[in-house]
This record gives sequence, C-alpha cells and structure tokens, in this order.
Amino acid sequence: MASPGDDIVSPFGPLQNELARMRGANLTTAIQDVDKIIEYLVAARDQVAAPDADHHRISMAMTTLQNPVKDRLEAINNDLRDVTKAQRSFGKALDKALPQRELPMGTDAMADHPSLINRAIAMHLVREGQFSVASTFVRESRDQQPPLSLEPWSPRTARTDEDGDDDMIQEDGEEERLTGHGVNNYPEDLQGQFAEMYSLLSELRNRNLGPAIKWARQNNSRLESAGSNLEFELCKLQFVWLFKGPEVNGLPDDERNGEMGALRYAKEHFARFQSRHLKEIQQLCGAIVFAPNIEQSPYRHIFQIDSAFEDVATSFTREFCSLLGLSAESPLYVAVTAGSIALPRLIKYNKNTKEKKTEWTTENEMAFETPLPPSMIYHSIFVCPVSKEQTTEQNPAMMLPCGHVICRESLHNMAKGSRYKCPYCPTEGHLRDAIKITL
Amino acid sequence: MTDHENSSIKHSDHLLLDQPLLRLPNELLRKNFRAAHFAIEKDTSTLKTLLRDSATAALSGRATQQDVLKNLDAMISRMRGVKRKLGAYADEEARLHTQTAARIQHLDELYTMHSIEDVKYEAWSRKRLDRLLADYLLRHGYNDSAKELASEKNMENLVDVDTFVSMSRIREALLNGSVAEALAWCTENKKELRKMESKLEFMLRLQQYIELIRTQSQPKLVEAIAHAKKYLMPYWGTYPKEVKQACGLLAIPPDSSYGIYSDLYKSTRWNELADLFTTTHNSLLSLPSVPLLHVALSSGLSALKTPACHSSHADDIYNDTGSSSALGHGVCPICSTELNDLARNVPYAHHTKSHVEHDLFLLPNGRVYGKERLEDYARKSGLSPNDVKDPVTGQTYPMDLLKKVFIT
Ligand SMILES: [Zn+2]
Ligand SMILES: [Zn+2]
Repeated sequence: MASPGDDIVSPFGPLQNELARMRGANLTTAIQDVDKIIEYLVAARDQVAAPDADHHRISMAMTTLQNPVKDRLEAINNDLRDVTKAQRSFGKALDKALPQRELPMGTDAMADHPSLINRAIAMHLVREGQFSVASTFVRESRDQQPPLSLEPWSPRTARTDEDGDDDMIQEDGEEERLTGHGVNNYPEDLQGQFAEMYSLLSELRNRNLGPAIKWARQNNSRLESAGSNLEFELCKLQFVWLFKGPEVNGLPDDERNGEMGALRYAKEHFARFQSRHLKEIQQLCGAIVFAPNIEQSPYRHIFQIDSAFEDVATSFTREFCSLLGLSAESPLYVAVTAGSIALPRLIKYNKNTKEKKTEWTTENEMAFETPLPPSMIYHSIFVCPVSKEQTTEQNPAMMLPCGHVICRESLHNMAKGSRYKCPYCPTEGHLRDAIKITL
Repeated sequence: MTDHENSSIKHSDHLLLDQPLLRLPNELLRKNFRAAHFAIEKDTSTLKTLLRDSATAALSGRATQQDVLKNLDAMISRMRGVKRKLGAYADEEARLHTQTAARIQHLDELYTMHSIEDVKYEAWSRKRLDRLLADYLLRHGYNDSAKELASEKNMENLVDVDTFVSMSRIREALLNGSVAEALAWCTENKKELRKMESKLEFMLRLQQYIELIRTQSQPKLVEAIAHAKKYLMPYWGTYPKEVKQACGLLAIPPDSSYGIYSDLYKSTRWNELADLFTTTHNSLLSLPSVPLLHVALSSGLSALKTPACHSSHADDIYNDTGSSSALGHGVCPICSTELNDLARNVPYAHHTKSHVEHDLFLLPNGRVYGKERLEDYARKSGLSPNDVKDPVTGQTYPMDLLKKVFIT
C-alpha cells in the first residue's frame, strides 16, 4: 500500500499522449485529399469543356486525370489507416490506464424503487439550490406518469413502517402506484425552506447578520432543545462586528456602530442570554474596557474573526437542515461517495462467493467489512467483545455493575442460572443487575 | 487498520465507477470511423469505375464531349458528397476528441489528491455525483433535466446527452409501435451486432411479420409470406423454434387464446422489444446495463447503514427530530428522510470494532455519552458545574449519578 508520502503516478499521462497522437491523425487529412481529387476533376472538366476541345484533347485530359486521382485515392486509404492505427493504440493505452473490471450488476437492490430514488434526487437538487433543474425534473417525471395523488410532504412521512420489513414491500408498491414516479410527493414546502436558507446564507456572506439572527430568534426554542447556541453565536458575532467600527465593517459611522454601538447592542440583546452565557457576555464587555488595546488583552481571540462568517454560515446550514430532520451534507452525496469507497470490497466479495449463489443484498448484515473514513461514521457502533457481533435492538448492549459492557446474548450464554461472572474482571453478580444501555 | 488508512484514496479502485466515462467516447470514435470508412469506400470504388470507364469511352471516341462532361459532373458531385459526409464525421470526431480530453483530465485530477479529507476531493466527488445523476436521468428519459443539470454544472463534456437522446428516440418509437428507427440502427451497426450474436434484428422482423398477420387482410397476408421468406427464413438455422412458430402464426387469428400464439399477439411485446433494444444498445457501446447510481447507492447505503438507522425503539424517535447522531457529525444520511426508505433494501454494514466516544458515562436513563460532549452541552445550557443534561432527551441529572462505562 502506498503511504501518503509516495508519489502515485497517474496512468493518464500516457493516455494523454496517445490522445494527442490520435488528434493528430484524424479525418481532416482525408478531406484534404478528397479536395485535391475534386480539384483534379474540376480542372479536367475545364479542359474538356473548353470550346477548342477536340477528341485528342479530351482523351488527353481524361488519361492524365487517371494517375493523380488514383494516387490521391491511395493517399486517402493511407490516411484512414493512420486513423485506425492511432485509434487502436489509444484503445490499448485505455485498457492499460483503466483496465476493464466487472461491476456488481447481478442483483440490483435499487431496481424496484425508482420512486424512492426520484424523491431522493428531487430533494438533493432542492437542497443544493438547483431549483430550476428540480422543477424541470418534477415536470418531466409528471409527464411520464400522471400523478394519482398528491401527498403533502412532511419530514415524518418517510417513517411509516414501524413493524418490520414484510409489509414494507407492500407499502412500497402502494407508494409507487399512488404517486407515479415518486417526485410527486415532492416536498414543495421544502423548496421554500431551502430558498430561505440560501437567501439567509447569501446575506451572511455579505456580512449581514440581521436576517439570520431573526430566523434564529423565531426558531429559538427548537434550536435550544436540539442543543444549539446558534442565536447567541450570531449575536456575539454581530457584537464583534459592530465593535470593529466603520473602517472594518463599512456600516454608517453613527451611535449604533463602533465600541459604543457594540455596547448599546449588548444592552439591547444580551439580557436574554444571561443565564446561559454569562461568562462569555462578561468577556465581550470586558473587551470594551480594554479597547483600544484589544491586541494586548486576554480577549484577543474573540476579536479574530477572519473565518467567523464562514464558520457561522456552516453552523447555520447544519442547524437549519437539522430542524428539518435532514442532514447538513446531501445524503445522496455522502452515500455515493461512501459507495465508491466500499465498492472494491463488494466486488471482491462477489467474486469469492459467486459459486455459492447467496446474494449479498438479502442478508440483514453484510458478510464483510467496508471500512469508511471516520468522518462517515455517524452512529456509535458497539461490537460485543465476547461474540464479536454488533449490538442491535434485539440484542442490545448490557452494562454490568462493574462497568464492563457485552451484548445480551453473550451475557445469557455465559450465565449460570441467574448469575454471571464478568469476563473482564473478577466481579460476579446477578443477571438482573445488568442494565440495558443506549450508546 | 488505522482510521487514517480508511481516508486515503486508492486511486485505481476509486475509479471503478468511472470506466464508462472513457469507454463510451472510445466506442463512439470507432463507430464514427467505421461509418466514415464505409462511406468513403463505397463512393471511391464507384469513382474508380466511373473514371476508368469514362476514360476508355473518351479514348475510343464512343463518347461525345457532352457524355464526358456528364461523367465528370457525376464524379465531381459524388466527391462533393463524400466531402460533405466526411465533414460531418470529422466534426463528430473532433467533438469526441475534445470530450475524451476533458474526461481524461477529470480522472487525472483525482491523482493530485491523496485523502478523502482533501478539500479538493469534495469538489471532485460532487462532480462525479452530478455525472451519475445525469446518467440516471438520461436512462429514464428525463432528458431536459439532464441537459439542464449538465449546463448548470458546466459539465457537458462529461455527460452523454446525445447518445441517450438518440437512444430514447428509438425506444419511444418502439413503444409507439414503429420498428423503422430501430431497424435503421441495426443497419448502422450490422457488423457489430452480428459479432455479438444479437437477436434484436430478428425480433424486429418478427414483429413486423406479426403486425402484418394481425390485420388478417388477404393482401397483407401475402405480404407477410413474402416478408417471412425474405427476413425470417435466413434465421432458420439460428432460431428454428421461433421461425417455426412464426410460420404457424399464419393459421392462427389474433383472437386465439392458444398459448404461445396469444403471446405472440400480445401488445406487451413492444415493451419487450424496447427493453431488448436498450440492452443491445448499451452492451454495443460498453455502457453498463444498470445505472451506475444504483451500483453506487447499493454499495454506499449498506456501508453507511447501522442497526440504529431503522430502529423501531421509542428512544429513537429523537432521530426524527433531527438531533445530531452520537458521534457528532450531524444527522446520519441514512436516517435522513431522503434515503431512509431506500436503505431498507440493503443490509447494514459489518463492523469488527466499536466506534464510540471517549470516556463514556452512563446516565440514569440508560443512555451513554462521552464526557466531553456532556460537559460541552452542560456549559452551553448554562447548567451548574455539578449537573449534566442528556443532549438527546434533555433530562438533567446531578453529576454524581453518572457511572463510568468500560468498553473493552
Ligand atoms: Zn467487569
Ligand atoms: Zn442512521
């Protein structure tokens, strides 16, 4: 395996050379030769058509025409041969640069769910701000199959099946029958939401915090219960931004700007944050005392805001999506990227198990590991140290009074009657003292 | 295996999904060249004969000046025709060269990155997603959406709008009961179709025959017999069963309920023909039979999925309200509305080691969190330093009720 220091040589360099060669040997050379032939023919015609053309001259013209035309026809053949050669050698270079490898097409777990895929794409386009493409897509998919029902979208409609996979199949069929090609239960209100998000983001990037603060205030209780301090973060940045004064923030040089403007802002807006953020408010106001020697003060870091607007835009996006029950990154993007990372393993597994004829998609759990980068692991994963199995709802993690954790099945397997002995320390105890935990 | 290793890009593996990107223009270049070659060969061999014959005629004195001029004009116009056709092929060739160059450059870019966490990688991977989306849209006939997406994202050279638009035109024609377009396509690709032993042309001819008989009119039946002699009999050796059945069809009217014959009269045969055409078309052009988006999603959804993503447990209602998932990377993409239902169709990922926060503590409500997150959340919530709050359920507990959890 290559370590990051190694230079991995791109196989596309040689391919680029072959392409250059192929672009050199192209059909235009043949066109030039055809042009020459036309020239000869036209010249011969002029001679034959001349008023003083007699039998001898006409014969001469036609005879002398023969060899040059034949030569050019031969040249055309050579031109074409060159094109073929260049194409062949490009083809070989292509096989080398990008060797053909079989993809797992045998079982397509996605084939029966165009409507779910269409909905995912529509939502992806909307969340990426591609409103125009999204609306074209909605129109085209409606034209293909007229909708029978228009169900309003809500973040919870996706979670209807709570009692197992069996009737999921029926529900799926139901859904595709009712809503045609799926984008019909297209989240119309979602587009409005994202339009708002993008307009607030563009204000933020123009260093105008007002609209975002207003939004955060309106959604304050939901944000707080989700553990977000977005409103305070925005107000804090507004304070610092005012504090910087008109030379930096470009706002009118009046009593609402500069150090005094910041103080005034703090008086008007910080009261509501006192219980939660007293310490930070004290720091901010402490800075006013230090001004203009902030650089020498302990509060220096609060006023370094080079990336503050970008940072706050990122947390704004995350919180905004989170309130809609959506992840901040497009799930489609994450899934396709994860898919390309996991694909080699899948191919390898399929190759090894081809003769067994068990389809990987029909199992509950994958039979092989598909490691993803840490940034793509979202849930806590607990693998029981005894059975090496992942815990699930049916087989949850159990904590013993000593603090060690194993899965319920392992615990019951090693219990003697109603008592167990911890496999990791010398404690023993009652099964009933083990607690089911949620990681 | 270290986490760092999981982030590094294994370049050749990473391009598995990108094979058709270069394969298709390569196939199209070859196809374009074959067509150009064919046109030149046909016209130049006519030119050769005409040139020789008119010279002989001129020499022998059999041809008048007018005759020679007429011959020359014919030759000139034929060569101008060649030039025109070649010009179109050369344009297509240049277009495909440009496309290939853009595509090679795009793939080459990946080699300037070494880690998934590289900022440049996200832009690259997003472009790939857009390409896969365009491919999916085109394969489903959402041509305008695909075109718009390609132009919005400035990636016309990376998507195959033309190929799929002409394909969907032929497909539509079949679904509307017309074989002419598909037959013309078969003629264009005769040699290759023979090489891959395609059944398409036979099935199209058979359908023409069925449609003639369906009318049950005398002249059409006569025509059907002539059609069978000309187009079906040559397949006697290859598809004896089908040809024999076809012959029998002459005696069976369309309202018959007689097994195989009622099948032959079925209107759904047109859908089957459309699908057969699509399959043939894709394999001729080295296009994958399934949208690559499906391949990427099957693989990606299962790699990301965990047992928690479809948990029916009451606690996990919190996933719905969009609380950040345990490891603090925001809402899980599988739990997000977009993919949750779709992901029911794949298994969840296999893990051999635990991924949990550091320094775990158990709350009295049975939920476990890392110390750092509890402290951080308590600070944000303005709690006293002796209290903690469950970041998911919002319950507050005094610190001394917490128990340390040991993960082995
Ligand atoms: Zn223990
Ligand atoms: Zn999840």
